[in-house]
Amino acid sequence: MQRLYAIAWLTWKAAFRFRLFLVIAGLLLVSVVGLPLLIKDDGTARGFTQILLTYTLTAITALLGFSTLWLACGTLARDIEECQIQMLAVKPIARWQIWLGKWLGIVSLDAVLLALSAGCVYGLLQWRAHRLPPDQQQALRNEVLVARGSAREKNFDKEIDARADQLLRERLEKNPLETRQANLGEVRRQIRESVKAAYELVRPGSPSRPWRINLGSARLHLRGQPLSLRVKFNAAEGSASGTYGGILAFGEPPKTKTAQSPVLSMAPDTFHEFIIPPDLFDADGVLTITFGNPNETALLFPLEDGVEVLYPEGGFGPSFVRALGIILCWMALLAALGLASASLLSFPVAAFFSLGLLAMTLSSGTMANAVEEGTIAGYNPEKNTRGSSPVDLVVIPTFRAALKVIRLAMDFSPVDSLSTGRRVTWTQLGLALSQIVVLMAGSVGLLGIFALSRRELAGAQAVQ
Amino acid sequence: MATDLSTPHSALRTPHSEAEVVVSVTGLTKVFQDFWGRPKARAVDRVDFEVRRGEVFGLLGPNGSGKSTTVKLILGLLHPTRGLIRVFDHSPRHVPTKARIGYLPEESYLYRYLDSRETLDFFGNLFELPKRQRADRAEQLLEMVGLKQVQRRAVGEFSKGMQRRIGLAQALINDPDLVILDEPTSGLDPIGCHEVKDLIRALARRGKTVILSSHLLADVEDVCDRVVIYYGGRIQAMGALRELLAKPDSIRITAPALPRETLERVLALIRKDVAEDTVRIDTPTQNLENYFLEVVKNAQQAAAETSGVVSGAPVAAYLRGEAEGRPAADKLLERFTLAPGTETPGPAPAPSPAVDQVKLDSLAKAHGPAAPAPAPAPATEAGLEQANEKLATLLGKNPGPNAK
Repeated sequence: MQRLYAIAWLTWKAAFRFRLFLVIAGLLLVSVVGLPLLIKDDGTARGFTQILLTYTLTAITALLGFSTLWLACGTLARDIEECQIQMLAVKPIARWQIWLGKWLGIVSLDAVLLALSAGCVYGLLQWRAHRLPPDQQQALRNEVLVARGSAREKNFDKEIDARADQLLRERLEKNPLETRQANLGEVRRQIRESVKAAYELVRPGSPSRPWRINLGSARLHLRGQPLSLRVKFNAAEGSASGTYGGILAFGEPPKTKTAQSPVLSMAPDTFHEFIIPPDLFDADGVLTITFGNPNETALLFPLEDGVEVLYPEGGFGPSFVRALGIILCWMALLAALGLASASLLSFPVAAFFSLGLLAMTLSSGTMANAVEEGTIAGYNPEKNTRGSSPVDLVVIPTFRAALKVIRLAMDFSPVDSLSTGRRVTWTQLGLALSQIVVLMAGSVGLLGIFALSRRELAGAQAVQ
Repeated sequence: MATDLSTPHSALRTPHSEAEVVVSVTGLTKVFQDFWGRPKARAVDRVDFEVRRGEVFGLLGPNGSGKSTTVKLILGLLHPTRGLIRVFDHSPRHVPTKARIGYLPEESYLYRYLDSRETLDFFGNLFELPKRQRADRAEQLLEMVGLKQVQRRAVGEFSKGMQRRIGLAQALINDPDLVILDEPTSGLDPIGCHEVKDLIRALARRGKTVILSSHLLADVEDVCDRVVIYYGGRIQAMGALRELLAKPDSIRITAPALPRETLERVLALIRKDVAEDTVRIDTPTQNLENYFLEVVKNAQQAAAETSGVVSGAPVAAYLRGEAEGRPAADKLLERFTLAPGTETPGPAPAPSPAVDQVKLDSLAKAHGPAAPAPAPAPATEAGLEQANEKLATLLGKNPGPNAK
């Protein structure tokens, strides 16, 4: 332990003596204080706070992420290039301890920088909240500076898949030749899409199917409390005003009381939040919601995030700290990635490689599209035709595997949760720790340690 | 000079030959390869040697002959292409064994942003030394290498000589059983060189093993028991220095200045047995190193202040074998009970032309009482004064009060 501590301490010393710590801390503080002056919001305290949280925490994550990667590559690669590591390797310290000590040093440095900058964000938020009129303060504390639980409809995947398979079978029975003529996978995909759309669609002039959302055990402490409904929809056709009307109805007589909203005006493709009056769910905690579509166009509420009920569950502070914990897990992964690259490569190559991997991860949307379309050759939505490429056979499975790995880290969205007043749970933090740190950073770390242990730390250039 | 490589090691045995083998190298070959795995350079080629406990073992050779590569192979920094290395009967990559090794590389590979004390504390931590012991040893080592006054300056700001000194200090923080020194005197002033050689002798007296890689022949000659001489990655000669340098067919007699008649009588006697042109008479001179050290010693006494290294400090107590943390009274008692001259090593013997000591001893025994060992002639007062003045001029100071 003394050896690990010594190496970690050395990383700290280097960060201070080279003024890296001060520079990064300065940049972080400038971004925290400067960004709120530049960003535009919708004029409400809630909107401003949401944007402030999103921008500042995203900027902190990005800045800290890049500096972590840079520092991790530099601290090890430069030690090897400038031969200082020879002085460590001849001492009674195993190479895995050198590696781990450096990793611990970088992660602890990140923890302090993150705490420092996020502390400023938190202080800024509280200070601004205190300066608002009482009613806006209350709204802010109910909707953003709060930790809310979330409930959605049950998952319909099984039903959709079963129905899609049934329809495919019926179609093939009617036209057996299609088995040979068409790409069955593509046909099934199209059938599935249409089945799924039926679950999401609200036809013009009709009410939606009832959305039944089970609040689970949370119902026990939600009696007498208002809830929040968060909705998002897409429209089949554009609207001249850019918005669409709608009426929301809550409750299912005679099991529960009912309530109805006035006619609402909402823009498509964005989230809207409404207050649900208290006590409209039944004894089992199921809240029934219906949407009346008075427009002349169909609206589509995506199953993934179209309808969501949010309910108060705890304080903002602890949730904020847990969100920072998840961000720190990302930093731990980046530190491992940088160190692993530097275990094998020279500093510029390691930095280029790590940043390339990071860029690839951030552009995982492109990979997801290619996987969804089954080709990298592109999809023409107007003609509903897909290109094909011989490299698809290799690239698509590779992308699919890469996405699985990337999603282990990217499936967490602490900044989004905070800015929408959602609670970041201990379970999420635990999952982030186990998936990002233990599994991913651990695997990357093992590769790095293996490479460092096998590597010759003196080169031919020093032969005498 | 060259020794037949087919000569078995037993023929070259030194008094250490019965001691434990500390480093054993058998059939060692190192071929550096390029990115594609093609051989680039054969740095070490089929090398065999053993280093035993208490030996000061020299690796000699010109630049690029494979000395440093051998050292790095012994330390586990490079992997052998072929052959076997055992250090304390373990692989060079055995981590616990490294607790017994101290290493000074040929360049300063220290962290430039740490100061001297932080450097020693950091390396002490890697040996898991307790805080108190780290502090004590750092104190003694800084004193020993003369950097106590500049202990808070970053190592990156040091001159090459000062970096060598702190490098040497870190190599000794763990009181190692095997000390590997790669060009230890490179960049050091003559005083520093002298102190390093004193230190090596002190370590050897305590049964420590020292491997010294150098191309400075005088350094090796002063301290090494045995040497290997490399060229082109191969061992060209190996053996005890005394045996390698001996000229068994000649002797040297040193005496105070004699009257001309006495000298002629002696010469006449000698010419009866050997040809005239094989007899040489000259006035012995002391070597430059000793002379220089004496001059600086006088200068130090005259002017105590310096902005550089403070020299002349004794070897750290724990390296001399004195127990750490014992009461002062104990240490005092030990000083009085130690054999004379064991506490601080004496000055380096003046390198004299090779003398077959064994033969000389046998001659002395056969023909009466032994003549006193030749001592370097003291520098004349006038010579010292002159040198003092030169030094003072060089340093831009007035000669001290002792300088006349």
